[in-house]
Amino acid sequence: MNWQERCYRVLLLFYPAQFRCEYGAELSQLFRDRIGERSSFLLWLETIADVALSASREHGLMLIHDLRYAARTMRKSPAFTLAAMLTLALGVGATTAIFSVVNAVMVRPLPFAAPDRLVRIAEKNDKLTFSTFSASVLNFLNWREQAQSFDGMAFFAGGVFNLTGRGDPEQYVGATVTPSLLPVLGLRPVAGRGFAEGEDLPQATPVAMLGEDLWRRRFGGDPKLVGSVLHFNGIAYTIVGIAPASLNVLTGADLCTPYTIDLKNEKRLNHVITAVGRLKPGVSLAQAQSEMDTVFTRVARQYPEIQDWGIKLQTFPEWFVSPPLWTALWVLLAAVGFVLLIACANVANLLLSRAAARQKEIAVRTAMGASRGRLARQLLTESAALAVLGGGAGAVAALFSVRLINAALPPNLLPVQPIPVDATLMWFAAAVTLATGVVFGLAPAWQVARTDLNTVLKQGGRSSGGAARPALRRALVGGEIALTTLLLVGAGLLIQSLGRLERTKVGFRPEKLLCFQVALPQTRYPAATVWGFYENFLASLETLPGVKSAATSSGIPFGAGSSTRTPVTAPGASKLPPGTGVPVDWRVVSPSFFRAMEIPLLRGRTFTAADNASVPLTTVVSEETARRVWGSDDPLGRTLRFGNGREFTVVGVVGGVRLGSLDQAPLPGIYISAAALPFGAVDVVVRTEGKPESALAGVRVRLRALDSELPISNVKTMEEWIDLSAAQPKLNAALLGIFSGVALLIAAIGVYGVLSYAVTQRTREIGLRMAIGAQRGDVVRWILRDGMAVAAVGVAAGLGAAVALSRVLRTLLFEIDARDPATFAGVAALLLLVALAACLAPALRASRMDPVAALRQE
Amino acid sequence: MKEDAESFLPLPPALFHILVAVADRERHGYAIMQDVASRTDGKLKLSPGTLYGTIKRMLDEGMIEELDERPDPEHDDTRRRYYRITAFGREVAMAESARLAKLLGQARAMGLAPRKS
Repeated sequence: MNWQERCYRVLLLFYPAQFRCEYGAELSQLFRDRIGERSSFLLWLETIADVALSASREHGLMLIHDLRYAARTMRKSPAFTLAAMLTLALGVGATTAIFSVVNAVMVRPLPFAAPDRLVRIAEKNDKLTFSTFSASVLNFLNWREQAQSFDGMAFFAGGVFNLTGRGDPEQYVGATVTPSLLPVLGLRPVAGRGFAEGEDLPQATPVAMLGEDLWRRRFGGDPKLVGSVLHFNGIAYTIVGIAPASLNVLTGADLCTPYTIDLKNEKRLNHVITAVGRLKPGVSLAQAQSEMDTVFTRVARQYPEIQDWGIKLQTFPEWFVSPPLWTALWVLLAAVGFVLLIACANVANLLLSRAAARQKEIAVRTAMGASRGRLARQLLTESAALAVLGGGAGAVAALFSVRLINAALPPNLLPVQPIPVDATLMWFAAAVTLATGVVFGLAPAWQVARTDLNTVLKQGGRSSGGAARPALRRALVGGEIALTTLLLVGAGLLIQSLGRLERTKVGFRPEKLLCFQVALPQTRYPAATVWGFYENFLASLETLPGVKSAATSSGIPFGAGSSTRTPVTAPGASKLPPGTGVPVDWRVVSPSFFRAMEIPLLRGRTFTAADNASVPLTTVVSEETARRVWGSDDPLGRTLRFGNGREFTVVGVVGGVRLGSLDQAPLPGIYISAAALPFGAVDVVVRTEGKPESALAGVRVRLRALDSELPISNVKTMEEWIDLSAAQPKLNAALLGIFSGVALLIAAIGVYGVLSYAVTQRTREIGLRMAIGAQRGDVVRWILRDGMAVAAVGVAAGLGAAVALSRVLRTLLFEIDARDPATFAGVAALLLLVALAACLAPALRASRMDPVAALRQE
Repeated sequence: MKEDAESFLPLPPALFHILVAVADRERHGYAIMQDVASRTDGKLKLSPGTLYGTIKRMLDEGMIEELDERPDPEHDDTRRRYYRITAFGREVAMAESARLAKLLGQARAMGLAPRKS
């Protein structure tokens, strides 16, 4: 054979194996015949084109043939096809839907230029266990001056903006930002321009940028808005540009204005800003961190009051995706992955039993000359066709699920919204579909490839041909049960955890409380007039029919108001080590607050109108604060000192309140009288007799009577706020609950399928045993033992896996151990019961068998 | 199992040519290629892939049958597979010829073909 023929042999590999076997020699012969006919170059050109064309045609024809065959097989057993398709659709759909969330939150880059170089520059205080905290403006200015690791730094702070002069007053969440913020993030205004340097100086003309979202939503995307003037908080702002929607991802604000840096009024310990920076190319996070540590130490030498503080650089993904969310998403992704695996195992099982039923057909075809490879290929095509049908349905289901998820998710649960439906998602669905098709198709194909022709034909296609097959099928079902056990344990724990969360005592009575926000613009309400306004407003509200009491707070529990935390020290005798403080959540409240919220007074008194700016500052502290600072000593009459030097005398002790989330025990809290410390933007709570919502109309009327330009915002009942705070655990529990339910169903079908098949396979044996005297009870026992052994092994393996994985779930659980014995026992019992039910039908069928008929059956 | 000859019409040109090539005598692959080429003055050159792809389908449909392998003295005396037309193949070829004849008649009536000599 010369080299040309050798090369041609290699080319022949492109043909389907069967075709090659049949005509390879002839084709080689033909090639040899033609070698002399023409120049080698032309011959090869023709040959390569010929092989490319005809090989793909042969493959295509074979595919069409196999698909037709598959379609015929599917039509012959519609129940099987439907079951397999639905199982797969469920698996692929659920996996894709959850992947869409994971992809949006964790994989897709954040919508900023080169987001991997962006960091949050947070302050930290190890003594107060603040691992990340807001920064102060004065510190920021020093950093920006001294640090070399950054291309740029910027910050933003919160703000509330009342829009007037355009119909009813409206309130928006805004942000005050440095002019450098957009450039640092690598964003450009959608229209107009960003802020210029100098526009953040105290005497500059007021300018603002509207957020893209607000611009489209409220102003219909009117391009003429740029350059026009809008009145916020009574000040005329020139709108210089439209900020891109991505800015909202960072600030959560609908509009922004420059942060006016007024050095005279800034305090070094006033932690009010969120600082970000862009690392220079080539500078690693660790390098930047080490430089910032040096910078901070240098600054702290100059300003000893900040010596307990430090800097913590955080990458954006680290900052945006909180550890519980991260864990939850991975747990959910793993859970759907398991559902998909269970689905695959089940379909593989169904296919195996069908392949077994078709064994004779296959044996005959092999005997007639079909190669095993050819048969395996055909079975794989069938599996792939099934996978494509199921996966296609799953992809469509996923599209709808993502829409549903977008509609159902509470707004602040994920850092990115809405979850995009894009090509990535469809690629993922396609890849999952392909993978499942191969995974569940391989088992039957492999079985066919190693079927022993003689055995099958000799046995007349009756029996399963050796022990390997049932072992594989049992292993599959056992695996399904193990995964289902794992899922059920997870779901059981999360659901119980959610139940405990919902029964948590929050420290006040959350029913029948209407909450909303009001913000007084500083321009029209100087500090001295703020309390007077609210005093009138609250008094007016309390005369409304159906209203029991009304109060204000700078930030109600679970609400959207100011979340203020600061370290306090206790001059005089205390349990605190000298020179250390305790971080406390402080809120400025009206005297009626404790009454309206029904927070119990434990000692002393609550505020009265007399606790105002004209007398020394007083405070009411939570029992946790009292305990932490003074132990069992009487706290009344003692003093607490804020970082800024302000001192407060304790006049009362009240019960602790959960502030932000149900799963965190109350932190030390202190209250300050609103009459003494004016707070312009407040949460108002109204305790009603009937439904809280019914008071809303009256509230609006009373507010308008006092000031027709003041909007109210964030209207919700307290129960709604609490529900929102539990959105994440609720979603976890609901999704895992659904997944494990689906898994349970699929696994039950699996057990039933395997046993039914085993009974059919053993008909002769059972008949024989009955003929020689076995009782019906014995038969039922055999079959049950057969099935339950598999179930028991699966459950045990699943429980073992659940113990091994308990560390992962622990962070998502509240007041329940990840190895809770009751849950484990309950899940085991449930699964064994379901398995028993699935075994019962085949067992009874076997016991009702007529031995004579069974023996006669071929 | 055999379908109606009409259901295969119109025949792909390669298939019809092969039927014609094996109509009078049995031939092996290379001989078929050469026969087709000489009949069409070299205008239709069957490529090996097309040839054997078509032969495979013709065998499946029962239009031709395979004879035992035997040496070809005209060539290099190596063993080759010979093919011969079947009764059904003949039927199909006749049906195709009739179809073409009818078409030719119509073309002639329209002055699109030379008159019968």
